[in-house]
Amino acid sequence: MTRLASHGTAGFTSLLMLAWAAGAPAANSQSVVAVKPRTVNAAPCEACHGPNGEGRPAAPFPRLAGQSADYLEKQLRDYADGSRNNPIMQNFAKGLSDSERAALSTYYASLDSPYAVQAAPGDARLLARGHQLAFQGDESERVQACNSCHGPGGSGVPSSAPYLAGQSAEYLASALKSWQQGTRKNDDGQLMASVAVRLSAADITAASSYFASLGAPGN
Amino acid sequence: MAQRLRAVDVAVIGVGMVGSIVAKELAAAGYKVVGLERGQARYTVPEFQSPAIHDELRFDIRKALMQDNTREPVTFRNHDRETALPVRRWESFLPGTGLGGSMVHWNGQTFRFQANDFQLATRTHERYGKNFLDPNLSIQDWGVTYDELEPHYDRFEYLLGTSGKAGNIKGEIQPGGDPHESPRSRGYPTPPMKEHFQGALFRKAATNLGYHPFPQPSSNLSQPYTNPEGIKLNTCVFCGFCERYACEHYAKAVPQTIILPVLLANPNFELRTGCQVQRINLDSTKKQATGVTYIDAAGREFEQPASLVITSSFSLNNVRMLLLSGIGKPYDPASGKGVVGRNYAYQTMSTVASFFDEDVIINPFMASGASGTMINDFAGDNFDHSGLGFIGGAFIGAVNTNGRPIQYHPVPPGTPAWGKGWKEAVLKHYNHTVMFSLHGSSVSQRQNHLDLDPTYRDAWGQPLLRMTFDFPQNDLKMAQYVTAKGVEIGKAMGAKQVAGAPRKGPYTTTQYQTTHNTGGAVMGSDPRTSVVNRYLQSWDVPNVFVIGASAYPQNASWNPTGTLGALTYWAIDALKNTYFKNPGHLVSA
Repeated sequence: MTRLASHGTAGFTSLLMLAWAAGAPAANSQSVVAVKPRTVNAAPCEACHGPNGEGRPAAPFPRLAGQSADYLEKQLRDYADGSRNNPIMQNFAKGLSDSERAALSTYYASLDSPYAVQAAPGDARLLARGHQLAFQGDESERVQACNSCHGPGGSGVPSSAPYLAGQSAEYLASALKSWQQGTRKNDDGQLMASVAVRLSAADITAASSYFASLGAPGN
Repeated sequence: MAQRLRAVDVAVIGVGMVGSIVAKELAAAGYKVVGLERGQARYTVPEFQSPAIHDELRFDIRKALMQDNTREPVTFRNHDRETALPVRRWESFLPGTGLGGSMVHWNGQTFRFQANDFQLATRTHERYGKNFLDPNLSIQDWGVTYDELEPHYDRFEYLLGTSGKAGNIKGEIQPGGDPHESPRSRGYPTPPMKEHFQGALFRKAATNLGYHPFPQPSSNLSQPYTNPEGIKLNTCVFCGFCERYACEHYAKAVPQTIILPVLLANPNFELRTGCQVQRINLDSTKKQATGVTYIDAAGREFEQPASLVITSSFSLNNVRMLLLSGIGKPYDPASGKGVVGRNYAYQTMSTVASFFDEDVIINPFMASGASGTMINDFAGDNFDHSGLGFIGGAFIGAVNTNGRPIQYHPVPPGTPAWGKGWKEAVLKHYNHTVMFSLHGSSVSQRQNHLDLDPTYRDAWGQPLLRMTFDFPQNDLKMAQYVTAKGVEIGKAMGAKQVAGAPRKGPYTTTQYQTTHNTGGAVMGSDPRTSVVNRYLQSWDVPNVFVIGASAYPQNASWNPTGTLGALTYWAIDALKNTYFKNPGHLVSA
């Protein structure tokens, strides 16, 4: 399945069609979905985020494939201006022009890479707690359900709420901690920060492990 | 036979907005308080979470958060020569039930009334002369002034965290706020909501016409806020599911997000849900309440003795509780004598729809319950009524609260009501229409009143409340006048077609208007024309306080909740500072 129709910008779509006509190789073996933009070098991304944006399960590097283009583009902008503070990503993001950020975001949004299966965490109680936070929240902590914003099963609600399902647990935990610590403050209305500061370390692990145990959307 | 329970200091009937605040304050002051709530306990988690809470069929159409009218409806008629029938399906107004009350499903539009409103009869006579008013009207002063209520408005807004832009701080007009508002002691606790596109269109047009647009004050918050109770609220995400729904984000100020956590943690307070209060019990002199009798969810009857009874249920139910308990003399519209049920008023709602070309994208679904832009230039007495033949007015605003798919279908006049033509028009106009709300005042008049129905009874065998209401001519004239002003603004926005729909009679309960039912147990300084004194204390039974919009002698041009919050704190101060020191009449008749 291609997601290009809904995400592609006009400029990138025409670029893709050129590539398509030239018989460019498929991004994965199951479906012909997207082609790397010629105008930008995705190689630096691939080193951490995987050759097809599938992420790295055991590292704090998120899966990018199929994440909404608007969301990804905003993150690159925010890395550049520091409202999402990460020295490594800031370096990369600052070196990109607006059009390069747009092209990269559209490219990764279009990918439908296989889900990198993660080892299921052994603790069933941890997963149950994560499930509770995802579907229901916790009144005693005044935390609403993750899925209220991030969509059914954490599948994401473009463009402001990214998908969580199938995301690296390491990444999700580090993201929640950065919301907590204020090194990430790039959402509207500080809603994510308001939630994160109410989560205990155990709840961060639980929610992260739970979403990591789900298949990525579309997989 | 009722089981008699151990006596408490205070029995609170209805644990909604008023009940939670009163109970919290009195429990904190050391009194033993029991809160009797007929509905169920419910909290942000798990009851208000999405996706379940965004079920439009369940909440919008089937009214899942409302008073159960299979067990407890209201009967209605336009005139006393008609036979009233039970309202079997809520449409015109939507009284809530359950912990948190109607506030759980409100829009968060948080206004103050103006100084003039509290002295409406006096000020109208002063400005327009004694003969200006239709003699059939029964408007009157409140017995309390804006200046007296100002600190309590302030306290209520800071409890809620209301987001807005002040227009008048201590007499100094503030640019960008409402220049017509009465002076406030300080600004709102949080800045205004973001303006949506229809608000921006409205602002521009209204400014060009010489009016004074400002952001609607909202208790769906613009930023994180910690209220004076120490409770944190979140930022609203503009999901467009406020009214008729509950908020899953702790972003809408409702009892669950502003005060219940503190109240429920106080051991002086006990919450009992599923308790249907049947009556307030009186002693043999009928001048002192001894407590209340209620039936629990299992059908068992209990007597709860209490030194003080506060009825803090929905306005209509406050009136009914007094009638069922024999407190105060029921109003007789024929003779004009009696007070309980007198001066029932409502709100006179009109609309203006502005239809644009398809290149103007409105995105009506990106909204919150109170994120509009509005003017008060034609509200209250902010314009000269000489020669107009009516008093009162309406705020006009691009204050559309949602674009929900089942309920929101703006189409131009002349569109077929169903079928292919209707569907095509909905598709064409859904995203290219701006709806104004014209939120009009409502005067009280002799015929409009509440009493007990002689025929129909509730599931517990008690007579239903009967509503006799039609729009006063005064208000229909007002609606015509203000709607014409709204149409001018729609045209100035550049709309291709503008359709004004001034409210017309007769009043019907089958069409949604607003849940701003007021009066019936009105406050005042004369026991012949009021049920409660200026502190909301019953003239007849001084250990009963009736706190609700039931106290409004007539309704003003704005949503009533802000004023009710102010009156609640006003009454609490009187209880704490005066009443408890020497229980008895706070005002001598």
